[in-house]
Amino acid sequence: MSPPPWKFIGILGVLLTAFAAGMVRAADGPVIAAAADLQFALAEVAQRFTQESGKSVRLSFGSSGNFYRQIQQGAPFQVYLSADEAYPLALARQGLALNEGVLYAIGRIVILVPHGSPLQADAELKGLAAALTENHLRRFAIANPEHAPYGRAAQAALAKAALWDPIQPFLVLGENAAQATQFAIAGATQGGIVPLSLASSPQIAKRGKFALIAEDWHPPLRQRMVLLKNAGDTAQAFYRYLQTPPAREVFRRYGFTLPGEEE
Amino acid sequence: MGNGLKAWFWQSAPIPLAAELHCPGGETLALVGPSGSGKTTILRCLAGLLNPAHGAIACHDKSWLDTAHHLHLRPQARRVGFVFQDYGLFPHLTALDNVAEAVPARSRTARRARAREWLARVHLAGLEERLPRVLSGGQRQRVAVARALGREPDILLLDEPFSAVDRATRERLYREMAELKAALRMTTVLVTHDLQEASLLADRITVVHHGRTLQSGAPADVVARPATATVARLVGVRNLFTGYLRRFQAIECKAFIAWGEVELEAHTAVPPGAPGTACDWCISASKVILHRRDRPSRGERENPVRGEIIEYLRLGDEVLIGIAPYGVPAAIIRLTVSWHVAERNRLGLGETATVSLLAAGIHLMPVESVLRTVPDQ
Amino acid sequence: MDWPALWLSLELATWTSLILIPAALPLARILAWRHFRFKGFVEALVALPLVLPPTVLGYYLLVAFGSHAWPGKLFEALFGHTLAFSFMGILVASLIFNLPFAVQPLQRAFEAIPLSVREAAWCSGLSPWRTLWRIELPLALPGIASALALTFAHTLGEFGVVLMVGGNIPGETKTVAISIYDRVQAFDDEAAGMMSALLLAVSFLTIGMVFALTGRRVAPHG
Repeated sequence: MSPPPWKFIGILGVLLTAFAAGMVRAADGPVIAAAADLQFALAEVAQRFTQESGKSVRLSFGSSGNFYRQIQQGAPFQVYLSADEAYPLALARQGLALNEGVLYAIGRIVILVPHGSPLQADAELKGLAAALTENHLRRFAIANPEHAPYGRAAQAALAKAALWDPIQPFLVLGENAAQATQFAIAGATQGGIVPLSLASSPQIAKRGKFALIAEDWHPPLRQRMVLLKNAGDTAQAFYRYLQTPPAREVFRRYGFTLPGEEE
Repeated sequence: MGNGLKAWFWQSAPIPLAAELHCPGGETLALVGPSGSGKTTILRCLAGLLNPAHGAIACHDKSWLDTAHHLHLRPQARRVGFVFQDYGLFPHLTALDNVAEAVPARSRTARRARAREWLARVHLAGLEERLPRVLSGGQRQRVAVARALGREPDILLLDEPFSAVDRATRERLYREMAELKAALRMTTVLVTHDLQEASLLADRITVVHHGRTLQSGAPADVVARPATATVARLVGVRNLFTGYLRRFQAIECKAFIAWGEVELEAHTAVPPGAPGTACDWCISASKVILHRRDRPSRGERENPVRGEIIEYLRLGDEVLIGIAPYGVPAAIIRLTVSWHVAERNRLGLGETATVSLLAAGIHLMPVESVLRTVPDQ
Repeated sequence: MDWPALWLSLELATWTSLILIPAALPLARILAWRHFRFKGFVEALVALPLVLPPTVLGYYLLVAFGSHAWPGKLFEALFGHTLAFSFMGILVASLIFNLPFAVQPLQRAFEAIPLSVREAAWCSGLSPWRTLWRIELPLALPGIASALALTFAHTLGEFGVVLMVGGNIPGETKTVAISIYDRVQAFDDEAAGMMSALLLAVSFLTIGMVFALTGRRVAPHG
């Protein structure tokens, strides 16, 4: 009989400890897919929801188009907050949503420049145009128009100012609106076109300046949310909560226009 | 002790084999041949590590291999003790545990006790708890031998077990091996390329070349009377020549060989071939007698050959001499004399010398033809 | 500090190692000691994840296990949910992606065992099983430890394939590597920095512990 293999036992012990520790999983709660521009606003709303109802939700942020595709592939989200209403409507048509959903906010875009950037932030993008003609623009961030509604809005605004073609070589595409904001503010670019809801949040606002771009420069960012097929009670409660005055107040604070209050 | 080992193997690929072995119980057989001659292959077949295309092995009347009846016992099922060239010791186990693994007893304590005895037998008492990497080459070899013996095998197989140690250690190990042999009377097959080692340790040798067994017999017999020129070369015979048979006198058992312009008389009962045919012949250096300048000796009348010394090499107290005989082109007779004899006879390069080739020492061999390809069973 | 993400990563790494190492052992052994016709092909296949872009693997896994393909349908029937966006999905991806990290060190370790040692074991009467347990595995132990360490550490760091196959589902597929990425996007540098430092420490700890375990084996005694 050979002596007990201490090395094996030691290694096994390491593994089992890690494994046992791993049994502690996150608190259960429905997973909410939310457009990236809701990064701060929705976090606050969710916190209030938990405080008031005692139930918790898990938030997952990303680009609306990405979530659309994942939901089609069976991703286990229970509520989907999109930045473009076309996606939830399509899901409803495909029978993947419980209903056609409801408009929860209307978004706006801004041009954001970090402190120290040579770019000027102005509503008509004149500063940007000047930087282009004077040839001292290095990099400019927007969300990827392919699957991010805020990217499409940025594209429209740039086209309106006749800057879309000249700016091509300098564009940096963020995977979603939050990443685009990250690129715009972190110093690797000289600025970007990002959601108002992110630019106006305390973390971002103190790091740069922004200017609101006119609504008619881009198709409206009609943000729609739906309950998905397997939505449970908590999800439905959350969905309802998002339409109540306290939630709407939070959205308003982050610069969203609320449905029914458009000018 | 048992009935010994009888085996034959034949295959054409991947390694050609055409071998026949026989080792009486309790004796040691040495497989001798140059590197790559197939001796290790044969040994591995005996152990069951390799299965030849055709063959059979019977060890002490137990059948280990019989290709005709699809019988191949695995190495574990054969009781063999194998000592590998690099010893194959288990590096993570102590000497004691190495040997204990092989002992066929049930309980761990019994195995360890027997292992201890075997290690003591190979003079390694006190080193039981050492790991192989802290042992010297000679000590490792002894552990390997102890492990092989610990298996209580029917047959001991040794694959060039002394090649990895220095000369002094080797000679000590030869003595110990000889002691063990005498004490255990174990049937042993030893593979070596060193004929001297074979002569020291083996009762019989089998000469192997290209996977074929060419000749078997007692070491002295094979060296003195090789069957063919190839065997002669393999066993290190230096004076190997070709001549042709002039005539054979059966009653007096004398054969007369023409060697260049020289005629030689050899004593042999059987002629190597028909008169007028070529034959190979050889003579051991000890049967080549130098004619002394100062006083004649008895054997000088037999087969005198005169020639010029063309090789003269002093090695310590001896001198290696090579003589090119007059009348025999491209032949060199080699012999060794002591230094003072060389001096006294004023031998040196270019000097003339005469030697006698003793008739009884000339060994005749038939010229080689195509060897038989399949051994009889 | 995203504790659930950290535990999830540790759990993924542990399960991957627990499943993959025992499965890799026989494969590594065969590759080390047997010669067969398609050996080169098998070795290339095993090594493929080393050079395969993670997103390529992610893509093929999504296609193969999506709800429209038969492996996906079978999986859904058995387990009630899709393979994508689930822990099992990223576990499958992790098993495939770590194959060379498990197999190659084991293969090297087995190759390093001289044939004469194994043959000596057989001639000493050890059955193939006893040879494996008593001789081969102890000698291959450094290789096993390396395979374990590499697989574990590599799994902790997996990002691309986990993101593609798993999405970013907190508590299910949001590993700490993804969480760091997520926190950076959320401008939460503090959390990102803390998790990165912790991950670095955990990686060091794992490797150091495993090397210490094997190091002790080599110390001479007596």
